[in-house]
Amino acid sequence: MPADVRDVLDARLKFLLYWVFATLGVLLIGLYFFQIEHSDRYVRLAYGNRLRIIRFAPPPRGDIYDRNGAPLAVNETTFSIMGYPMDLNKPDMLPRVEKVLAEHGIPLSVSDMEKTIRRQTIAPYRVIRLVHNLTMAQMAEIFADPAFPAQLFPLPVWRRIYPSGAIASNITGYVGEISESELKSAPGGEYMGGDIIGKGGIERLYEEQLRGVAGEESIEVDARGRKVRDLDTRGSERGESIRLTIDLGAQKRAAELMAGYKGAVVAMNVKTGAVLVLVSSPTYDNNPLAWGMSAREWRAITSDANKPMLDRAISGVYPPASTFKAIVALAALEEDAITPSTVYHCPGYLELPTRTFRCWNRAGHGYVNLTSALQNSCDVYFYQVGMKLGIERLLKWVRKFGLGEPTGIDLPAEAGGVIAGPEWKRERFHENWYRGDTINYSIGQGFLLLTPLQLARAYAALANGGWLVTPHVSDLGFREPVSLGVAPEKLSAVQRGLNYVVSRGTGSRAGGFGVAVAGKTGTAQNAHGVDHALFAGYAPASAPQYAAVAMVEAGEHGSSVASPIVGEILAYLLSHPVDE
Amino acid sequence: MGGVLVLAAAGIACIYSAGSGTAGQGWVYALRQTTWCALAGLAYAVVVSVGYQRFLDAAYPLYCAALVLLCLTMFASPEVKGAQRMISLGFIRVQPSEFAKISLVLVLSKVLSRYPPTSMRPFLIGLTVGAPAVLMVLVQPDLGSALVYVVIIAACLFVAGTPMKYLLTLFGAGVASLPSAWACLREYQKMRLLIFLDPTRDPLGAGYNVIQSRIAVGSGSFWGKGFLGGLQSKLRFLPEPHTDFIFSVYAEEFGFIGSATLLLLFCLLFSRVAAIGLRSRDIRAKILTAGVTAWIWFQAFEGIGMSMGLMPVTGVPLPFLSYGGSSIISITIALALVGGVRADSANKYKT
Repeated sequence: MPADVRDVLDARLKFLLYWVFATLGVLLIGLYFFQIEHSDRYVRLAYGNRLRIIRFAPPPRGDIYDRNGAPLAVNETTFSIMGYPMDLNKPDMLPRVEKVLAEHGIPLSVSDMEKTIRRQTIAPYRVIRLVHNLTMAQMAEIFADPAFPAQLFPLPVWRRIYPSGAIASNITGYVGEISESELKSAPGGEYMGGDIIGKGGIERLYEEQLRGVAGEESIEVDARGRKVRDLDTRGSERGESIRLTIDLGAQKRAAELMAGYKGAVVAMNVKTGAVLVLVSSPTYDNNPLAWGMSAREWRAITSDANKPMLDRAISGVYPPASTFKAIVALAALEEDAITPSTVYHCPGYLELPTRTFRCWNRAGHGYVNLTSALQNSCDVYFYQVGMKLGIERLLKWVRKFGLGEPTGIDLPAEAGGVIAGPEWKRERFHENWYRGDTINYSIGQGFLLLTPLQLARAYAALANGGWLVTPHVSDLGFREPVSLGVAPEKLSAVQRGLNYVVSRGTGSRAGGFGVAVAGKTGTAQNAHGVDHALFAGYAPASAPQYAAVAMVEAGEHGSSVASPIVGEILAYLLSHPVDE
Repeated sequence: MGGVLVLAAAGIACIYSAGSGTAGQGWVYALRQTTWCALAGLAYAVVVSVGYQRFLDAAYPLYCAALVLLCLTMFASPEVKGAQRMISLGFIRVQPSEFAKISLVLVLSKVLSRYPPTSMRPFLIGLTVGAPAVLMVLVQPDLGSALVYVVIIAACLFVAGTPMKYLLTLFGAGVASLPSAWACLREYQKMRLLIFLDPTRDPLGAGYNVIQSRIAVGSGSFWGKGFLGGLQSKLRFLPEPHTDFIFSVYAEEFGFIGSATLLLLFCLLFSRVAAIGLRSRDIRAKILTAGVTAWIWFQAFEGIGMSMGLMPVTGVPLPFLSYGGSSIISITIALALVGGVRADSANKYKT
């Protein structure tokens, strides 16, 4: 064989080798690309590939108690009878169930059951609920019956129960299945569809504490999603129970007194701001809301003209009327516009060049000082004081007392009200502020609107020596009181007047319950009808512990309707000290 | 040849690692593979001592036997994932297509050296000799092996001195026949090729392999996750971790460093084999080394390339690393033939 043939072969073999090297070089570049250049991305993908988080069923919510431990919201285990469509659709199955249920006093006809089954059937292997809301005793009895079909099984379901129902529904609020928008706004995927979430009141505000922690299991899975090992397990934690400052007994009494009226009753501890009574009337039963009500029932509640779901105690805004005079009096004393011995003459009216302002007592009160002006609620005296003080100095004290703005109570949906000074009037009506506006403002009939809770807080400050408290229904909402910096002798001049209101003045009906009450009546002019009745006060007059406000819409005179309510509630609270 | 031992050891380690996932059979696979490696070592010694010339002398009968075996495989073998590739010898199952590669290289060396394909006639003779083997594995169907055969034939023809115009014409004809070849492919084969073009086409189905393999390779990063640290294979995200996708396991656990070292070892092997061919005075030996080089090269290139999605997925074992006795023993025998060439050349120079 000629030598040149071998040379050709050698050249070609070398070429083959270079080709091999070149292609392996390409592979090296590829490895560089995947393992170094874009490695981060694949590391992330590999991690995401195998991590799964599984959440356990949510634990029961924390309970809500009143200050004495009486239950306001608890969980009850109920039982449902569950079954699979393939079992239920067997002939003679439903008649058997009907018979057993009837024997144990549960009327449920075959046709009803058929309807239930039809509504829930998605697939023959999807379990459906045949009967729900059975008690433990009923469940045990039925399942112990040998005639009961063995294919059916019980499922425990915890459900929220509000033993106090409508009496405290404005405080506790209610729970319900989480809505789509709530699900979207919840941070960090804490919730899943079908979860129960607080929808109002304490249930909503303290959702985080009450809810507890649903356990989670982080697991590593293989390619088929089968568990390989646990990475981390977090056990379920039952929700924290919350003890409110509410006194259910007093709350119930106040609700009874308000029965038939629209309005609100608020009572609080003057030193801490702990709210003991927070009644809004009319009200609603929150139990059906928590169980899930039909759209029709829901419409009936929300479209009710009496607005049962409006918490009038914290969200209803009213003019303070004459109860405001105590604030005006203190403001004037503090601003040195008057002294306790300042005297004005009341002929039954105040005549200004442009207009005449009448006193409620057309006959006039004669010469009145601060004490008797409060005692008899003399309008003319406060017209004079208001003019002397001027609207700006008065508004300063309105703000100091926190009127016309939310108190910061630990309940959702609190309203602020309106301070309604000159600026507000200019913006709202494009009008200047007149002296007549100040005069009306001084007796609480101006544009000022506030909530019963704000008024109760202001009276608590009058009672406790000038400390503005933060109202709260749970100790979690307690805030240190803020001093208003009022002189004790000036405050006691106002307190003396408030004592006289009950002991010998317009509010005497508040004093008929065995405790010394101090306070002030009010009759708010109602442009839409009968006047609103108001009473704000505290007791015992000498060493105040509790302040209370009653607001009765269309109650005509504060003296007749509202003052006995406050008197009775204050007497109740003083005779039922908290058992600690 | 020490590099080959390192490769084989790496292979056993990877098979152990790949097998010790959820299946928990790492030891079983690793022990079997070790046994086969030992058998392969034995075969190597035997073949070297017999010498490559005697094998070349017996090339025709060996090739005929191989074709018969391939034929038998078509009729008497269990189906493994839609393809008949194994033939059962009672206690052990053999993959004839692997051993047929040896006889193919041998017969081509013999024919092409006797009838140098410098003109049309001997070129066609060479083609005619190789064609039956390709067709038979295609029918099985084993596209991967068929491609290996084609590469071996092409490399042998090329090194034997076929004029470039013939080869280019052949290549052109091959490309021209692609559309009709496409029609002959089975569904899963078509899918694999489509997936190669776009792995996201069917991420949970056919494209899944490529995506998961890329994740395995890419997440290995520079240093790798360490031996037995590769979770893609342990958790069975990787399909066929101990055979087709063994390189993904390796790359995940040993990283870029390990992968580059592996490529280097292959390069050393190829340059050794080629050097032996260049040194030999025997034209048959030159063609033989070319065939062996092309064979191992293509399987390595395909095995590594497909783990990154650079090559379409075919069931071609990665030499020395993939689990399987037939593969490692046949490749070792092929290398033993090359070793025989080296021993022969050494003897000649001695005398």
